[in-house]
Amino acid sequence: MSLRRIPAWVWVGGVLIALFVFPLVQQSQYYQHVMVMTMMAAVLASSWNILGGYTGYTSLGHAAFFGLGGYLVALAHNYFGWHPFISSWFLGIIVMGVALILGWIALRTHGSAFVVVTIAMVFIFRIVALNLGSITHGAQGLTQPRPGWGGVPWSPELIKIPFHYIMLALLCLTVFVSWRISLSKFGLGLVAIREDEGKAEAVGIDTMLYKVLAFGISAYFVAVAGGIYSYFFTYIDPQFIFNIFTSVAMVLTALLGGRGTLWGPVLGAFIMEPLENWLVGTFGGTQIHLTVFGAILLGVMLFMPQGIIPSLRELLDRWTGSRGGGLLGREPAATEDTPSAS
Amino acid sequence: MLEESSMTNMLQVENITKTFGGILAVDGCSMAVQKGTITGLIGPNGSGKTTLFNLITGFYQPDSGQIHFDDRPIHGLLPSRICHRGIGRTFQMTRLFWKLTVLENMIVPVRQVGWRTLFSRGVKRHEEERALGFLDMVGLAGYRNEQARKLSFGQQKLLEFAAILMADPDLILLDEPAGGVNPVMIEKTMGFVDDLNRQGKTFLVVEHNMRLVMDLCQHVIVLDHGQKIGEGEPAVVQNDPIVLEAYLGTANHAGA
Repeated sequence: MSLRRIPAWVWVGGVLIALFVFPLVQQSQYYQHVMVMTMMAAVLASSWNILGGYTGYTSLGHAAFFGLGGYLVALAHNYFGWHPFISSWFLGIIVMGVALILGWIALRTHGSAFVVVTIAMVFIFRIVALNLGSITHGAQGLTQPRPGWGGVPWSPELIKIPFHYIMLALLCLTVFVSWRISLSKFGLGLVAIREDEGKAEAVGIDTMLYKVLAFGISAYFVAVAGGIYSYFFTYIDPQFIFNIFTSVAMVLTALLGGRGTLWGPVLGAFIMEPLENWLVGTFGGTQIHLTVFGAILLGVMLFMPQGIIPSLRELLDRWTGSRGGGLLGREPAATEDTPSAS
Repeated sequence: MLEESSMTNMLQVENITKTFGGILAVDGCSMAVQKGTITGLIGPNGSGKTTLFNLITGFYQPDSGQIHFDDRPIHGLLPSRICHRGIGRTFQMTRLFWKLTVLENMIVPVRQVGWRTLFSRGVKRHEEERALGFLDMVGLAGYRNEQARKLSFGQQKLLEFAAILMADPDLILLDEPAGGVNPVMIEKTMGFVDDLNRQGKTFLVVEHNMRLVMDLCQHVIVLDHGQKIGEGEPAVVQNDPIVLEAYLGTANHAGA
């Protein structure tokens, strides 16, 4: 196979150009909508992966940061008139601050206890949003003005396009940060924590600091996505945005593509999200897409438990009889669970 | 008198106690490791040697008592902080980052100070050269890009040992370096310890292989039931009736 000989930048550049011209070529609002949602799913899964993949802490609480980002942006828009395309980026930092504090508490637990604690975070945020009626309007939810700029709404035919490009920018930033982490000492420390946390602590890694930082960074992009999402739909309510299924989707997407790899979560999103839309579009409001996802997950767990990218890479290595260098070589690690940029 | 002794005592454990449930694992134990020595820590199974290691390195918090390293208290610190102070350790059951490569296992212990080095890309040349130097010493340089889990048992022990050195500790705690290792490898390990000791590293070694302890150590401390029951030069300890009793049972009973 000569796939390995194609440099990574050609792949990345090709995909980037394709995504860049997509809304210009594809004028169907439906497909434009699906693409925005797909890129958002890729952002969520990639961001989740920094904690759940590299560090090995399975969080089901990231919907809390998604919802908090959504609410802060919607509130700032309605009360102060801050445009979500700008406010999302810095209100995400506030969410990151919240995540750092919550992470400092939650990351004292491990394994399934951590999963349960993070699930609780989603419910706590939902209950707060429901009961803080004077600010959040409770179960009624929040409605934002129609998307536009400078008081002029965008025309309905072109309304998806600004969202396409801001989501693409967010996706690029998320993958870039994830890539830099995977190549850094910080990333190596995170993988060391995943492999053996006690040993990592013994050789001088401040595991709590690393884990809390990973938690905060991984909450940031999710929060920014939540902010943009709240504007995309112009309406959010607590049931809808603090939804445990949002968290579950991040996990499944990352598992499908390859947990702990750089591109796995992105690939997973580009399979799951269009598939979901197709199933819902074809079979209507039935729950059949959930059944199909269940079957896919089962298949992945049976036949490629590490996800698509690591399994394909293994196959490639077997065919070519070669492997990529280590994390420290010219090419990032080709080991199944190591974060990688190839 | 006290002043004088504490000056050369690199590690000082004072009256330390640790219980697990109702079991007294370490019972008011006091001991000291002098700078520049290779000190052996021996005792029958379950005498508290590994618990003591875990107390010194911060994996357990003592119920009472104090531990000082270079005249500064270290009890209550996190293991990573204790490592930064200059104590490195190996584990009885070798612990490595199995899916990482040999070289990556060497790089993880390199202390990162400041955000820029933490987030900058890749590994610095001098770090890699240092790692390869140590790997060369233990004969693993050729395996630098292999996953740690693919090494043989003895090689894994050597890698764990070499990786500790990357953190540049002044005191190195070895928990059964010869356990399950073939005689040639034991010989090699002893050679490394001896060389590093000459270069100024201090060692505290838990070991059941008595020949190794007697050959390598300048000073031996004997534990039984979580207490220190004897110490001194290897030859003296070897013939101490109390020590013999702890290991072999009471002489009278054995003789009868």
